Amino acid sequence: MGRQRQMILNFFMNSTGFHETAWRLPSAEPEGVTQLSLYKKMTLIAEQAKFHTVFLADAYELGEKVKHQALSRLEPYTLLSALAAVTERIGLVATVSTSYTEPYHTARLFASLDHLSGGRAGWNIVTTGIGNTHLNFGRERNYEHAERYQRAMEFVQLAGKLWDSWEDEALLFDKARGLYADDERIHAVRHKSRSFSVEGPLNLPRPPQGYPVLAQAGSSEDGKELAAQIGELIYTAQQTMKDAKAFYADVKSRAERYGRNPEHIKIVPGFSVIVGATESEAREKEAELRESIIPELGLHRLSKRLKVDLFSYPLDGPVPELPDPSTINENRSRFELMKTMIESEKLTIRQLIERVSGGNGHRTFAGTAVQVADELEEWFTGEACDGFVIRPQALPAGIDDFARLVVPELQRRGLFHTEYAGATLRENLGLPRPANQYAARRGEERGVQPV
Amino acid sequence: MSGGRKLKLGLFLQGAGHHIHGWRYKDAQSGSENFELIKRLAQTAERAKLDMVFLADGLTTSPDHAASVVTRFEPITLVAALAAVTSRIGLAVTASTTYYEPFNLARLLASVDQLSNGRAAWNVVTTSSLEAAENFSRQKEEHPEHSERYERAAEFVEVVKGLWDSWEPNPYKIDKATGEYIDKRKLHELNHVGKFFSVKGPLSVTQSPQGHPVVIQAGSSEPGQELAARIGELVFTAQQSFEDARAFYAGLKGRLPKYGRLPDHVHILPGLFPVIGATEKEAKEKYEELQSFIDDSRAYDALEERFQYDLREYSLDEPVPDIPESSGRKSRPQLLLKLARDKGLTLRQLYREVAGARGHRIVVGTPLQLADHIQKWFDGYAADGFNLMPPYVPGGFDDFVQGVIPELQNRGLFRTEYEGSTLRENLGLPRPINRHTRVSAR
Repeated sequence: MGRQRQMILNFFMNSTGFHETAWRLPSAEPEGVTQLSLYKKMTLIAEQAKFHTVFLADAYELGEKVKHQALSRLEPYTLLSALAAVTERIGLVATVSTSYTEPYHTARLFASLDHLSGGRAGWNIVTTGIGNTHLNFGRERNYEHAERYQRAMEFVQLAGKLWDSWEDEALLFDKARGLYADDERIHAVRHKSRSFSVEGPLNLPRPPQGYPVLAQAGSSEDGKELAAQIGELIYTAQQTMKDAKAFYADVKSRAERYGRNPEHIKIVPGFSVIVGATESEAREKEAELRESIIPELGLHRLSKRLKVDLFSYPLDGPVPELPDPSTINENRSRFELMKTMIESEKLTIRQLIERVSGGNGHRTFAGTAVQVADELEEWFTGEACDGFVIRPQALPAGIDDFARLVVPELQRRGLFHTEYAGATLRENLGLPRPANQYAARRGEERGVQPV
Repeated sequence: MSGGRKLKLGLFLQGAGHHIHGWRYKDAQSGSENFELIKRLAQTAERAKLDMVFLADGLTTSPDHAASVVTRFEPITLVAALAAVTSRIGLAVTASTTYYEPFNLARLLASVDQLSNGRAAWNVVTTSSLEAAENFSRQKEEHPEHSERYERAAEFVEVVKGLWDSWEPNPYKIDKATGEYIDKRKLHELNHVGKFFSVKGPLSVTQSPQGHPVVIQAGSSEPGQELAARIGELVFTAQQSFEDARAFYAGLKGRLPKYGRLPDHVHILPGLFPVIGATEKEAKEKYEELQSFIDDSRAYDALEERFQYDLREYSLDEPVPDIPESSGRKSRPQLLLKLARDKGLTLRQLYREVAGARGHRIVVGTPLQLADHIQKWFDGYAADGFNLMPPYVPGGFDDFVQGVIPELQNRGLFRTEYEGSTLRENLGLPRPINRHTRVSAR
C-alpha cells in the first residue's frame, strides 16, 4: 500500500478569534491585539502541532463598527517577519492585495520574508473591491471586478519575473577572484503590460522557494480561473460537502485544462470550529459565543454585504428577498453562498446573524475531538478537499483546544503528519519548486534542452 | 560629565560591509540576505548599548552595483524580524516617499513600532535614482526632480504623521460586559486632501508606547536641511572635516527656532567608517589591504553613479574636473568635489576614497585614536554621535565594540545601560503629543 494521503492544516490567525464578539469571552486577551507575544504564543502552539501554515488576512482600511470589535491589528508582513525569527518550520502566509500595492514592493517584501524564514513564505493573492479602501489611496472608486482580476493576473506574472530575475546560483561570494555575483545570472525583466511596466531586476536574490507559495481565495468565476492558472493553495468557503466536492472537481479540472498537475493545487475550505472535551462542553462554548453577539453589529455588517437594509425588518422574521448576484461588485462568490444558505435553510435574520458572527459564510461546527475529526475525515476522504483552514471562533483558546484535542486524533487515524516533511513550505505542502524562466531561456540559447 | 549630554551611536548595517570590497577581507562574512549574520550584529550592538541599528535602502539594483548594495533584505521586514530577537535597541529603516503610498508605509512602520514596543525609527528619504521610476511603471523622464521630490516628501510625512495620530493614546475600553471595545471618541479620520495625496484614514494600527516612530532625515542639500530642521529628530549626514561638521551642526541647529524646536531634540549623527588595529601600523595595513582589493576598472561607473555624470573623456590620473549639478543627489556630489579640491585628488584617488566609505569620514587607528576622534567631534559640537559604518562584518564591528566602546564608557561619554525602554526615551526625545489630544485638552 502506498503512503496514505494526509491532510493540510492551516491555522487562520487573528487576535481574539473569528467569532466577531469572541473578545468578550473571559478567556480572550483583547489587550494583546498589538502585542507580538500573543501571536507568538499561538503560532508556537500551531507549530508544535505541525500545522502547515499560519495565515493572516488583511485589509487596507480600518473598517466600520470598531466600537464593538477588536479591529485594530498588526500589518501582516511585519508580524510574519517577527514570527519568522522565533519559529523554524511553520509556513507564514500573508494576504496582500494586488489592487493597492506596487508589484516591485510586493515581490520584494515576499522575497525578503522568504529569505528571512528560510523558505516558509506564502502569499494569499487578493483583489480589493470592498468598502472605502479607495479613499485611503486617492482614488474615486475601487477597481471593478473584471479589472481587478486582470490586474491581479498581470501582477502575479510580473512578480514571478522579478523573483526569477536572479538565478539560483547568481551569488558567488568568490573572495579570491573578487566576484560577488555572476552578472550573467541576473536579468532585467522589462515587463510591459496593460497595468504595469517594470524594468527590474529585483534587488534581492531569488527566494529559497523560488516563489513563495501562491495562495488564492476567490470562488467567483474570475477567481476560479485565477486559481486554476496560478493558485497553489486555494482557500474557499463551502457550507456543504456536496458543494465542496463540486468546487474541488471544478477547480482541479480547470487546472488540468491549463496544463497543470491537479496535485499541485491544494484546496482547503475554511472550518469555523469549536472543540470541547465533551459534547456538552462544546455546546456550552457555542452558547457562550452566541450570548456575546451584539445584534446591531450583525445587522450593520449584513445590510452592507447583502445590500438590503435589515434594520427595517423584524429580527425574528425571515430574511427579505436579496438582489441578483450579478449586480454585486464586492466579494461576489461569498454573496452567492450566503444567498443560497438563506434560501435553502429559510433563516430568520437572528439565525443568520448567529450563523455569520462565527463563520462568516464558512462551515461552522461544534463538537468533541472525535466528532470534529469525523467531519474532517469525511470531507477529506470524500474528495471534497486536500485539507482545511482552521478558523477558531475564539482565540487564543481555540487553537490550543484544536492542537491539544483534534490534532492527536487526526494523527492517530493517520490523516495528519506527525513531523514536517521538509524544510520549506513548498516541501511540506508537496508543491514543486518553480523553474526559473530566465535560466531555462539561457539554457536554450546555449542549445541545452530542458529536461 | 557636562550637563548629561550623552553620545548617540548607531550601527549602519550592511551585510557585506561598507567598504566596496570589505566582503573580501579574510575574516569577513558576507551575505546581505544572511539573517543569522545580521541578527548576530544587531545583538552585538544591543549588548554594546548602541542606540540603534540603521538600514539604508534602494529601489533598484544591477549587477554593476557594489557588493554591499547589489542585494539586500527589504528593511521593514528585516527590522520586524530583529524586533523579535532583540529587546532594547532601536530599529531604524529607510523608506522612500517617492514610490510608496503613505497609507501602506504608515501602517508598516506603525506595525514595526508596535511589534518592538516602541523602538522603530523612519529615515525619510526621497529616491534620487532615475532608474527607480522604471520599477514603478513610469519612464525615467517621469522621475520627479529634486524640488518636487522634497515637496512630495513634506506632504507624505504630514499624511503619515496624521495617520499615526488616528488613535489617541489608550483608546481601549475593552468592556466585556457592555461590549464596548474602544472609545470611539479617541479614533479619528484624517481626511487629508493635498497636492499629491488624498487619504481618508483612520489607520488600522494603534500607537506604540513612543507615540510616533523617531523620524530621521538624511539629506544635506538645502531643501534636505530645511526638511531636517522641520521634522528630523536624528539627522544622518556625511561630513569629512571637523570644521565642516561644526558648520553643518551649527547651521542645522540654527534653523530649529523658526520651527519652534529645541536643539536638544535633534541629534546630528555623521557617518563614521572605522578601521581599527591594535597599533596604528596594524590599522593602516588593514586599510591598505582593503584598498588593495579595489579594481580601478569600475572607477568610471562608480563615479558616474555618484555624480550622475559621464567622466569617461577624462583620464583617471587627471585632477577631478568641474562637474555640473544633477537633479538627483545634491549634497553628496558637492561634498566629494570639495574633498577632491581640499586634498588635490585625481579621479582615481577620489574613486578609491569613495570606494571605501562613499564620502563618509574614514578614521584609521587604534581604539584610543578612534575614541579621541569621537570625543573631539562630540565635545566640539561637530556631532551628537555617529552612525558607525564598519568596513566589513562581523570583525570590523566587533573591533569597535571590544576596543572603542569601553573606552568611551570609561570617559563617561557613552551609556553603560539603556536609560529607558523606547528608542525615544534612550535618545532623550519627547513623545509627540497626539494632535487630537491637543485639541480636546485646549
